[in-house]
Amino acid sequence: MSEMLAKTESIMKKGKSLGADEVIAKTTLGRYRQTRFSNNEIDISVAWNVYVTNVMLIWKKRVVATQIRNFQNIDATMEQLFKLAKVLKENPQYGGIAKGNFKYVTSMADKALRDLDDPSQYVKLAINAAIEEAGPETNTGGILFTKFEEIFLASSEGPTVQDTRSAIELSIRAFSTIDASGHGVECSSALKNFDPSKAGEKAGKIARLARNPKQGEAGKYDVIFDPLFWGSLLGSYAWMSSAFNVMIQMSIFANKIDQKVASNIVTLKDKPAAYSIANRTFDDEGHPVGETTIIDQGILKTYLHNTSTAKLFKTKTTGNAGLVAPMAWNIEMDAGDVCRGDMFNDLKRGLYLTNTWYTRFQNYATGDFSTLPRDGIFLIENGEIQQSFKDIRLSDNALKILSNIAEVSKERQHIHWWEDADPPSLCPYVLVRDVQMTKPT
Amino acid sequence: MLDKDLVDYALEHAKNKKIEYAEVRAQNQNREGILLKNGVLEAYSMVVNSGLCVRILTENGLGFASTNKWTREEAEEIVNTAFKTANSAKRKTKIKFVEEKAVKTSWKVQQKKKTEDISPEAKIDMLMEIDNTLTTQGINIPARMLSCSIALTQKYFVNSEGTIISSFVPLMGMYNFITIVENGKPEQAHKQYGYSGGWEAHDKWKVAEDLVREAKALQKLIKEGKAVSPSKMDLVCGPEVVGIAAHESCGHPMEADRILGREMSQAGKSFIYKDGSFWIGTKIGSDIVTIIDDPTIKNSYGYYEYDDEGIKARPRYLYKKGVINEFLHNRETAAKIGTKSNGASRAINYDREAIVRMANTFVQPRDMSEDEIFEDVKYGIYMRSFTEWNIDDRRFNQRYVGREAYLIEKGELTTPVARPIIETTTKTFWTAVDAITKTVVLDSGTCGKGDPMQGMPVYMGGPMIRLRGLFVK
Repeated sequence: MSEMLAKTESIMKKGKSLGADEVIAKTTLGRYRQTRFSNNEIDISVAWNVYVTNVMLIWKKRVVATQIRNFQNIDATMEQLFKLAKVLKENPQYGGIAKGNFKYVTSMADKALRDLDDPSQYVKLAINAAIEEAGPETNTGGILFTKFEEIFLASSEGPTVQDTRSAIELSIRAFSTIDASGHGVECSSALKNFDPSKAGEKAGKIARLARNPKQGEAGKYDVIFDPLFWGSLLGSYAWMSSAFNVMIQMSIFANKIDQKVASNIVTLKDKPAAYSIANRTFDDEGHPVGETTIIDQGILKTYLHNTSTAKLFKTKTTGNAGLVAPMAWNIEMDAGDVCRGDMFNDLKRGLYLTNTWYTRFQNYATGDFSTLPRDGIFLIENGEIQQSFKDIRLSDNALKILSNIAEVSKERQHIHWWEDADPPSLCPYVLVRDVQMTKPT
Repeated sequence: MLDKDLVDYALEHAKNKKIEYAEVRAQNQNREGILLKNGVLEAYSMVVNSGLCVRILTENGLGFASTNKWTREEAEEIVNTAFKTANSAKRKTKIKFVEEKAVKTSWKVQQKKKTEDISPEAKIDMLMEIDNTLTTQGINIPARMLSCSIALTQKYFVNSEGTIISSFVPLMGMYNFITIVENGKPEQAHKQYGYSGGWEAHDKWKVAEDLVREAKALQKLIKEGKAVSPSKMDLVCGPEVVGIAAHESCGHPMEADRILGREMSQAGKSFIYKDGSFWIGTKIGSDIVTIIDDPTIKNSYGYYEYDDEGIKARPRYLYKKGVINEFLHNRETAAKIGTKSNGASRAINYDREAIVRMANTFVQPRDMSEDEIFEDVKYGIYMRSFTEWNIDDRRFNQRYVGREAYLIEKGELTTPVARPIIETTTKTFWTAVDAITKTVVLDSGTCGKGDPMQGMPVYMGGPMIRLRGLFVK
């Protein structure tokens, strides 16, 4: 057992020795680096070193949580936490944490990302690629982010395990003119698979095509969603798949298990695989993570659960435990059988939307929402871009969008971008029929 | 733990290097969070979070590093990292900070009722009572989430120019989200409360009263709400709608870092930019529209006396008499635009870079009464509150969907209106304002900006405003 795992286990044991029924301690040693850039230059380089242990302690169905930083004041903190648990009211819905000795897959984290001190060269590659596509006047901005985490988890119910998790992602937005922009992202769990110039090239290409935009017209359109845009929508669907959000009706999926919620060609999974930037081998209860099919060929099969919510829903945990509520790790949409090129060629008249932001719901239960397309917004006729648009809004319903999916591409891309395409996802191009667009008046 | 000696040591270590500027900011925060889900206590968390960061400016660029390990070795490491990465930027255009006077001071916000003196049981009981009041009204409310937060934040800031500032701010917060079902139809509402000060916040807030009122209004909306016939009409906005519009279409586009492109890839740019159609001095609204961002409002959620660069806070008149007047600045943006910082640099934690942020943004009141504002509206909509909203990343094309709204006929409020929508531009919205009432109401919010996201406590609000001839659908 490593020294850190032993230290983490000692925190868990301290909780048990005080009389707690169940205790989980999870230590994260995190090394995070970010380079922010705009106007084609680096604005700031940021480095965070984090040493933290998250603790969840349960006594007679009273759930309390805390954080211990850098293994300081362990005894006092745990005693205070236990004292707090003793004065709380019981949570009758509490259903336990993962129990047993589990087998885990081996972490494939890339140590090269731990040792990467100066990632500015990757930023320059992306900027240059965008400028090459969109011209010397192109203005770019974005971030490069790297993560290397060592995780140590000790649970009183069995799991005592460690993991390493790595990620690198680049997000670049390019402006070819003041009102013509494109956005590209590149996400990987390992340095060797990471090609920042791909993101720059895509941002630059869209920015070039988006020049001279005209006010878009309101109406219903068949829409091809770029993986970057679709990743934002998948983020909303993933969030609404959490059993916690279902229970507070912040979800279109409440009471719809085994019902049709999407087109037959839609299969959505949660899969924090080694290639994903959300790579992990266990959840925050120490339960192994795996592949969870949320929607199978249009049918809602499960919510995302921890042990406690699973018990309430009379099912098994899906390995999605956060310390309090279940959450999605990495959403994957199964590839379809249409080539991207054919999807565009077959579109007689419609829109190609490349990115979005500011998705807000009127009502999470019904799914009425709107979101603001940004960067390239293109009118497509007979497979060709006819016009670049601006200032239109997608104003529709989240269930209707799922049901109206007509085509899914074979090609998929790893997506993660800021708060708007989160959690990470593996996204295809998607064609949706009859999407309502509105404009300001 | 906030070891000032270690902070000073880190600064001295930085000053020994070839720097143009260095600052060290340390923070110790005691947080409590209580979450009640459908009347059940889901979890109670108590966290102490402390750490320090260093920001270094060299001739080549800017570097930032943070840690929560309070040792000399770690302090040296973050200084070395920030210095090294600042130099690795190798910028062609040099970053400058505008010159400001050094300050030595300390400030704090008092708690009239110390949260430390309120037992966990009493805090839980407070939430339970609200939930109980809500669920005994004869209204079907199948989903309820109530949460309470406390954050006691101690900061210590020093820089290479001689500034030394200590501060303490206690922040109280509450958030609720409810779903009402009537005749099988759901409606939802959420509301946030915030206050700088002590537990007395909970005496000032009327959370249970507000929630019951909200639940009854939503129930009535489901039963009686009519759709609006889309057309141009007069619109009266309540303070909640005025606040979100002021925040989104005035506060955000007036952030100088956004105007200069530094947030272009995340929160976006601004419709205001050099040599564009809008700049300082350009008309953006009617003559009676003045929008202020003021961090100095006592006990506000966005309260501070000095910002996270050590600059004294003051009110900023963003739009003044309908004209673009003053941007929100930190020292870097002020130097680029050729002005002084107005103290808008804020960070949510020790491990985040301070960036340009709003504090408390509101429309300046005038002299009309609430009755008068409806009097000469022949046909229009009163949008008291909003549900869905969003705005483009230039902060020009925006949409607000009414949550509680009523038809105005011959100066009287008549039937509830189901989800009226305004989808308009910043200039159209503020130019249409022809009347403003005299009483300001401020709501709490968590403003999103930064990468990683820094959710910042703010107030937003205003009096009621009347807009003539806006398209409502």
